[in-house]
Amino acid sequence: MSSIPPGFRELTEATGFAAANGPWFEKIENGRTVRAFRPGPQHANPLGIVHGGMLAAFLDSAMGAAVRQALGRHAVTLRLSLDYLGPGRIGDWLQAEGEVVGHDEHVAQVRGRLYGPRHDVLTGLGAFALLSRQRVPTVRS
Amino acid sequence: MLVDNPPEGFLRIDFDRGRSDPTFNSHIGNLYARRGEKGTRDEFVLGFRVRPHMCNPAGGLHGGMMMTVADLVGTMGAGALAGVRKFLPTVNMTFDFVAPARVDDWVEGRAELVRVTRSLIFSNIYLTVGDEKILRASAIAKIPSGDGPTFGKARLARDEAAAS
Repeated sequence: MSSIPPGFRELTEATGFAAANGPWFEKIENGRTVRAFRPGPQHANPLGIVHGGMLAAFLDSAMGAAVRQALGRHAVTLRLSLDYLGPGRIGDWLQAEGEVVGHDEHVAQVRGRLYGPRHDVLTGLGAFALLSRQRVPTVRS
Repeated sequence: MLVDNPPEGFLRIDFDRGRSDPTFNSHIGNLYARRGEKGTRDEFVLGFRVRPHMCNPAGGLHGGMMMTVADLVGTMGAGALAGVRKFLPTVNMTFDFVAPARVDDWVEGRAELVRVTRSLIFSNIYLTVGDEKILRASAIAKIPSGDGPTFGKARLARDEAAAS
């Protein structure tokens, strides 16, 4: 139930919202970034399934990671459109990944997918603003 | 314990009455709501004070927190405006991240009903800090047939006081 599939490392560098709602995991597989987490009761909505906001936050993070992996640039989300396909179950290992489908110097278009062991949970399309190559977001504690 | 110091009229939403483990709405909290005059833009307002545990590595309000609150405004808030007291699952949401918010900012969320059908609620949602918009969202929530799942345990402190 609480095991971590091989190849994933915990994102121990997470702070703020990501740390408060973690632990989150990541692995690089064939040049793609896959993020994952195992939802607990603290991620549930009143129906006992994973809260839509948590799913949105997690997919957003995976899509941002895909931009960094594909383009080597840090990015911030400009817009995100999400379709909720099915419930995310507490205790399941949920994975999310993004694919950069287009970009210019300033904006990347990314398709995202969040899925559990049995079915797709959330699909998304986003536009991410690419930060300048020199600029890495300042980390404040 | 930090004091959120909500503006006049905001009451903390107790999402987990009698539940031992806090669910997501409490875990990310605190969240507040204020009910205003029917038919005005203030009929249902959700609010919260930005805390460090709601932030991204750059020190701004995390997009995930904005989306979570907008999701609540599009279900709980739009449902209240439409007079539907059921749990409304979200079908689609589209977010535009217009501006950042900072620690200690007071953020408010409001929904505008676009159309209510027998099975769907279309709404527009804005999150604001003062007069500045920080997030624009468009939401589609499903109205379950029949009674649907129960609304959950969320109540305002005022309802609690009235009930006891």
